Amino acid sequence: MGDESTVLTAADARHLLRRTGFGAPVKDVARILNRGETRGAAADRLLGFKPAAFQPAGKDLRLRQNSWLKYMIGAKNPLQEKLVLFWHDHFATAASKVGSVTLMAAQNRLLRKLCKGSFRTLLQSINRDPAMLEFLDTVRNRKRTPNENYGRELCELFALGVKDSSGNATYLQEDVVQIARALTGWRISKDKADFDEGQHDFEEDYPERGPKVIFTQVGGFGPGGRSFASAGEGAIESDTVIDILLAHRDSDARSTVARRVARRLLEFFAHGAFGESTPETTAVVDAVIDASGFDGTWDVTALLRAILVSDAFYETAATAPFGASTAKSVKWPVDFVVTTLRTVGLKAKGREYYVDGGSRRSLRSHLQAMGQQLFEPPSVFGWEWEKSWITSATVLARARFARDVIAARGNGGTSFRPEKLVDLGLTAPDEILDATLDALGFADQVTAAQRTVLLDYLTDAGARPSLDLENDDTRDRKLHGLFGLLLQSPTFQLH
Amino acid sequence: MAITRRRFLTRSGLLAAGGLLGPGLFAHPLVRNAFAETIGDRYFVIIYLDGGNDGLNTVTPIDNGASGALRTAYEQARGTGGGGLRLAANQILGSPGGGAPALVDPGSGSAIGLHPGLAGLHRLYAQGKVAVVQGCGYPDYNLSHDESRKIWERALPNGGTLPGGWLGRYLAANYGGSDIPGVNMRSSLAGEFAQSVTSVLTLDNVRDFGFPYDSSFSSDRDEKRTAFLALCEDAAASGQGELAYVGSSARATLLSSESYPALHDLYEDERPTFDAAYNGLDTSLAGDLREMAKVIYGVSTGAPNVGARFFQATNGGYDTHSDQGAGESDGQHTRLHRELGDALELFYEDCTDMGVADKVCVMVWSEFSRRIEQNDNGTDHGSQGPVFVIGGGVNGGVYGNHPDIRQNSIDDSGNTRYSQDAGDPYRSTDIRDIYGTILTRWLNMPEATVLSSILPQDGGDPARFWTAPNFNLGLL
Repeated sequence: MGDESTVLTAADARHLLRRTGFGAPVKDVARILNRGETRGAAADRLLGFKPAAFQPAGKDLRLRQNSWLKYMIGAKNPLQEKLVLFWHDHFATAASKVGSVTLMAAQNRLLRKLCKGSFRTLLQSINRDPAMLEFLDTVRNRKRTPNENYGRELCELFALGVKDSSGNATYLQEDVVQIARALTGWRISKDKADFDEGQHDFEEDYPERGPKVIFTQVGGFGPGGRSFASAGEGAIESDTVIDILLAHRDSDARSTVARRVARRLLEFFAHGAFGESTPETTAVVDAVIDASGFDGTWDVTALLRAILVSDAFYETAATAPFGASTAKSVKWPVDFVVTTLRTVGLKAKGREYYVDGGSRRSLRSHLQAMGQQLFEPPSVFGWEWEKSWITSATVLARARFARDVIAARGNGGTSFRPEKLVDLGLTAPDEILDATLDALGFADQVTAAQRTVLLDYLTDAGARPSLDLENDDTRDRKLHGLFGLLLQSPTFQLH
Repeated sequence: MAITRRRFLTRSGLLAAGGLLGPGLFAHPLVRNAFAETIGDRYFVIIYLDGGNDGLNTVTPIDNGASGALRTAYEQARGTGGGGLRLAANQILGSPGGGAPALVDPGSGSAIGLHPGLAGLHRLYAQGKVAVVQGCGYPDYNLSHDESRKIWERALPNGGTLPGGWLGRYLAANYGGSDIPGVNMRSSLAGEFAQSVTSVLTLDNVRDFGFPYDSSFSSDRDEKRTAFLALCEDAAASGQGELAYVGSSARATLLSSESYPALHDLYEDERPTFDAAYNGLDTSLAGDLREMAKVIYGVSTGAPNVGARFFQATNGGYDTHSDQGAGESDGQHTRLHRELGDALELFYEDCTDMGVADKVCVMVWSEFSRRIEQNDNGTDHGSQGPVFVIGGGVNGGVYGNHPDIRQNSIDDSGNTRYSQDAGDPYRSTDIRDIYGTILTRWLNMPEATVLSSILPQDGGDPARFWTAPNFNLGLL
C-alpha cells in the first residue's frame, strides 16, 4: 500500500514506463531511481508534456498509418501516443467507412490535442468531428430521415455505457431518438463540420415532433427529464446534449460518465479486470474520481494522475513469478511492435516501412496479421483487448515480427545490432542473459525456470560454458537468437 | 509427382519430431473422454454469412398453399421492374421430386423454394442432405449487426453470466489445455468458439502455418524450438491467467505449426482433382472450405498430431442495403448465393469422396434476415431468417415455419415478430433449439448438461420467450 509520496522501486519504475510508454529503457529506469522519484513526482513529470500538433501525413491510408507509427517510435512523450491510441479505440472510427484519410488524420490530430485535457471539450469536439460525422452517419441524420446510429453509440460507448456499475440501463430507446433529433443538420463542407439549419429538426414545418426532452426515466433527472430548450436550439444542441450526458447520474447517484471514463482508463493502464463491474473495481473507480474531482472538472490529467499514484496501478508492477492474484495485461500489437523497435533501436525501412529481415514485411502488414490496423478498428466497439489479442494466427504474427527484427542483418540503422545493447566483451552466459533482459526492460518479469531455459539455450545445455560474442557466428546465432526468443516469449507479450 | 504416405511423413519431418512431443498431444484424459462420448469421429463446421442475409430471398414462398397468404404478402413486399427484388415463382427452386422431401412450409402449406443462385445447395437438397430450418431467431430482435451477431454467438439473448460462445462452452467442458479441437479460417476467433480452457487455431491457410525461424541460422533451429516450447510450458503452468493463456496458446500454435503445413502437401498430392475444383470456384469461401478439407483429410487418414473436429468460416457481403438484385445471374445476392451453394456442394462431394460425408455436419447462419418490404433496390436490417444444416447424417427436409410476413402481422418497424406460441402456424424456431439439437444429437451432450451449462432457458411469457426447449428438431 502506498500513496503519491511513495518512492518508486525499480520494479515500479519499469512498470510505470511500460504502461505509460513503450518499454522500459535502462536509462529511463535509472533516471527515476537516481532522482528517488515518488509516484506523484513521476506522474507529474510524465503528464507534464504539451500536446504536439502532429498529424499523420501521406496521400493514402498506408502512408498515414506508417506516418503515425514512425511518430510513435520516435515520440518524445510516449504517454501522449498511448493516450491517442486509447482515445482512437474509445471513439473508434474506421477509415474504410469514412472514406477520407484527410478526415482520419484530422481526427487523430484532434485526439492528440485533447488527449489529456477536458473530457467535456473532447466529447463536444467528437460530436462535430467530420470523420465521426461520416462514420456514424450523422451526415445522414436528417429531420425527415433520422438516423440513430451516432446517438446510440454516444450513449452506449462514448459517454454512458450500456449499463451502469450496478447493471442498470443508462438510457432507453426514446432517449436515443431524442438525441438523434438534436443532432440533425450537420454536414461536412470542405472537410469541416457545417451546420445546416434547413436540415435541423426544430423547423416550424415539423411541429408534430415537439420539444426534445430526454432521460425522463433514467439519469436521475426526475420524471421531467432534461429539456434541450433551456440552452437554445440549433447548432448549440450539439453541445447541450453533452452537458446533459455529463449531468447524468447512475443508479448509485454517481456520475455515469465519470465512472465509465475512469473505468476504461483503469482497464487500459492498470488491468483488464477493471472492465468488469464488481464492488471491488467500482470502489477503485470511485476513489480515483473522488481524488481527482473528475466528475466536476472533467480534467483528464487530474484523473490520470489519480490513477498513476494509486495502488491499483502499482499492483500490476508485480515481478515474477506471478501468482493467481497477480494482475497482468496483454500488450496491444502496436505496443508490442513499437516497444520492440524503440527498445532495440531498429528503424523500419523505406516508404513501405518494412523490417529488413526474414519476411521483409511492412510494419502495417505485421500489425494487420497481429489484429490491429491503425485507423481501422474492427467496429465502433473498437478492438477487443486482453486475451482476445491472442490467437494462433496472432501468436505466429508476433513471432514472425520478432524473427524479422533479429534477422535484419543489412547495414546501418535498419539492421539489428545487439552490440548497441549488450557489451560484446561479456562471456559468462548468465551475465549475457542479465544484460539482454535489462536491455529489453523486463528482467523482473522472467521466472527462474525461464532463466534456466534461456541459459540452456545459450550454453547448448551446458556444453558451452562461455560465449565469444565477438565471433560473428556465435553472436548471430546465440545473441540474436536470445533476443528473438525473449521477444517471442509469452512473458514479453504481457505488461 | 505422386507421393507416398511414407515419403510425406519423412518430408514433413514428423517422424523425427514425434519424439519431441512427449507423451503425445492427444493423450489428455479429457480428450479420450471426449472422443469416446461426444463428437467421436465426426466433424462440425459453422459457416457465418456476415452482414445479414435476406432470408426472404433465400427461402421464398412460391404459392399461397391451402391456408396461407405467403406468396401474396411476398409480392406486396418485393416489387418487379428496376430495382425490384421479387423472384418469379418459376425461378424459385422448389420441390425437386424424385423422392426428395417436398419443400413446403409446414405452418401455411405454401410451396417454398430456394433462390436460383443456390442451385448447388438445391442439388444437395434433392439428395436429402439439407435441412432448411425456417424462421430462426431469439426473443425480440436486435438490428445492430454487432449486437445480433453476438447474441447468436453467445446464445444468451436475455443476458446471463455464462462465459464465452455457445460452442466454446461445449469445448471448454470437453477438452483440455493441451488439446486443439478447433480451427477458424480467419485471423480472429469466431465468437461462438470463445472460451479460455482449450485451444482453437486461427489460420488463413495451412501451408503458411509454419513457425518462423531465423533461416540464416537453421542449424540452431532445434535449440530454439526446445527453448521456445519450454518457455511456453512454463508460462502455461503459471497460476496467472493471462500468462497461462498466452503460454498455452503459443504452445498449441508451435505444435500445430509442425503438423498443419504438411496437410497442404498431403492434400495437394493425393487429392489433385478436388484441389483444382476448389480453385475453379475461385471464391474465398471455397478456399476456406478447401483448407478445412485438408485438415479433415489429414485427421481422417491419421496424419500425426492433427485432431481438429470443429471448424468455422465466414462469407461476407450480405449487408445488401442497395443493389441487392433479385434472381438475375449477375445480381449481388445471386452471386453470394452461388458462392455458398457451389462451395457447399463441392465440399460435400469432397467429403463423400474421402468417405466422411456421413461424419461432417455443416451449419450456415447469419446474424439476422432483412426487412420484409424492400427499399429502392435493396433491403434494410430485419429479424428471423433461415438456417441450413447440411451433411450425410442430416435428415433432409423443411423444419420450422416461415416467418409471418403478412402485412397485418409485421411490427411497426416492418419486421416479423418472434413467437413461441404453440398454436401459431408461424411460430419461430429459437436458435437454441438448433444449437441444442446439434449439441445433443451430433455432439452427444446430455440434454440436462446442455440446459445447465450451455443453453439456459429464459423465464417469462412462454409465447414470447424460450421456456420449452426442443432439442430434437428432427434434422439429426
